[in-house]
Amino acid sequence: MTVDIDAGRVPLTRRLLANLNGPVGSIALTLAVTLIIGAVWVGPRYFSASNIEIVGTSIAIPLIVGVLASFALLAGVVDLSIGSMVGFGAVAFNQLVGAGMDPWQAAGLTLLTGVAVGAVNAYVIVGLGAEPLAVTLGMLTLLRGLCQAIVIEAPPTTLVEPLYDLTQGSIGSFPTLLLIAIGLTLVAAGFVGKTRMGRAIRAVGGDARAAGRVGIPVARVRVIALIVSAVGAALGGILYVGQLASASNILGTGLEFQIYAALMIGGYSITRGGVGNPIGALLGLLVVGAITNILNVQFIDPDYLDIIVALILLGAVLLDRIRGGDSFE
Amino acid sequence: MKHVPHRPFTLAAAALTAAALGLTGCSSEGSGGGGGGEDDGTFTLGFAVGGQPDADWQDLQGDVAQALAEQRGWDFVELSNDNSEATATTNADLFIQEGVDLVMMFNGQPSANPVIAKKYEDAGIPVITFDIAQEGWYFVGVDNAAAGTAGGTALGEVAKAEWDCEVDLVISAEGTSAGQINEWRTGNAREAVAEVCPDIPEDAYVSYEADGNLTTSLQNAPGVFAANPDAENILVVGINDQAVVGALQAATQLGRDDNIMGWGQDGGLITGDNVDPNLAGSVMYFLEGYPAFAFEIADAIAAGDVPEVKDTGDDAAVSVKPCPVSQEEAAEVPSIDERVAALADAEQGTTAYDLFCPAAAG
Repeated sequence: MTVDIDAGRVPLTRRLLANLNGPVGSIALTLAVTLIIGAVWVGPRYFSASNIEIVGTSIAIPLIVGVLASFALLAGVVDLSIGSMVGFGAVAFNQLVGAGMDPWQAAGLTLLTGVAVGAVNAYVIVGLGAEPLAVTLGMLTLLRGLCQAIVIEAPPTTLVEPLYDLTQGSIGSFPTLLLIAIGLTLVAAGFVGKTRMGRAIRAVGGDARAAGRVGIPVARVRVIALIVSAVGAALGGILYVGQLASASNILGTGLEFQIYAALMIGGYSITRGGVGNPIGALLGLLVVGAITNILNVQFIDPDYLDIIVALILLGAVLLDRIRGGDSFE
Repeated sequence: MKHVPHRPFTLAAAALTAAALGLTGCSSEGSGGGGGGEDDGTFTLGFAVGGQPDADWQDLQGDVAQALAEQRGWDFVELSNDNSEATATTNADLFIQEGVDLVMMFNGQPSANPVIAKKYEDAGIPVITFDIAQEGWYFVGVDNAAAGTAGGTALGEVAKAEWDCEVDLVISAEGTSAGQINEWRTGNAREAVAEVCPDIPEDAYVSYEADGNLTTSLQNAPGVFAANPDAENILVVGINDQAVVGALQAATQLGRDDNIMGWGQDGGLITGDNVDPNLAGSVMYFLEGYPAFAFEIADAIAAGDVPEVKDTGDDAAVSVKPCPVSQEEAAEVPSIDERVAALADAEQGTTAYDLFCPAAAG
């Protein structure tokens, strides 16, 4: 929903209320409520440094993958293959390092693999006009199959110390990787909201024909968005190997659904392009991570997590409909 | 008229600031590994169940461990590894934060075990692992080599009795990511079949990747049947019951189940109301009862008499004795829920093998 007001002359309280009426406002409120529940139910240890590290470490990689995948969503082309690409990137990097390759070279090759996968997705979707859901579902299956084919016995253990320190280390009580992920989110949010290219991506996702009529190169934008999405997933795979020092053939399975659920909670749509903001992705993942952590530290059956996330997701969708749409329509 | 979009930065900043304020106000409890939990001196056992699909015994291991911990007046906390190495790694952080005194776990995705081991080692927390060895952790598991041989021998004997060893195909449903364990269970089973029925030709032995679960096994087994269209008398061995039953179900779906027999490992699918009719038997490990074996070590640690770490399948801290049973014998074994209840009520030191294995009884 667009606010037809001049922000410079509107009181702060009214501007805040206007903000709360948007998807990011809803998720920010949800996060605040979650934190309050955590504080009351778990107590002070919910905010202990070690607990912040646990939450931060667990959401940092999904956040990086999600923020970069969100460019494809914004451009109106959902990429369902990100979870498998995370797994494939991890397997490729782990096997290469395990075979003795220099980790930097292995990382470069893995990212190039991401470029290649993104380019294939883009060629079929943009070049041949195929349905993004079908194409990326096919790529999801292909990459998962490749993981199974490559990892046919116990995968090598590849503890790359600098990568381990980066992915498991912290600055103060904040995980280093989470700080990087938040930095990336802020840059992405600035890019999407403040730059010409960012606005072009949203315009392409919102109405491709209209965007084309005003001279935006629709095909090029979508190609780039799909490549960024796949490279982000490959990067996520490398980071997982840093965190886990190995990669099984099921790593990343179902991750696409976790990430997209968080993105949708944060205001994105997988069926409509042009809507959402990386800040929403951050808040969405924080909500999911915070709820997961409450269940974990209270040692409650984690099966309830799926139910809670589903309810929040349904609530977010419902709220969006009650509002009559979103900020960018 | 000017269109002004909402300012997500404002709200995000507000939410993050609120969180930061909360942290500032509340984080005085201390940080780092074991700082989170409140230690009242009671021995605390952390238990991580495997969380693999179609494996109820994994959750039941937690139930047995909880009952045995409560018998001893210990605190007990449980998490699920959710069949994910990333979750298992996070669980290590959570147990360390909770300040547990000992961890028991089954981790079906052990690729991250070296990292998890490093975390526990740094925190000074001993770990008992079930069935999957890791350097520095007490290994409690079945004697996999003996289990493989027992299963193969039993299946070979049935083939000898039923078909006079006229076997066209011996399928091995593997779980290669388990490494040596897979080799012990499936390789030894194949060798044992060959020992009982030495005239089965070498090229009749085929293997495929079942990944140790029913779903993958069911997906991949049809390729094996398609590649051997003339095979009639078929034997199936595998890394576990799920892998074997996946092949048996595939045979049923393809109409190739007239003469097929499988012998599983672990006993996960040989009891209950829906046992596959072609599963001739299984080597029961009484997986749900592993904690009863592990408490032998836990009791010593709790008493301050920390035993030497034995961390390999060859030199286990506690070796679980395999119990081969035919489908008929398995029908006499109490259900898994009854076994859990019986174990929870049994005297300390009693194991599931003592209580339920026909060989022990007879």
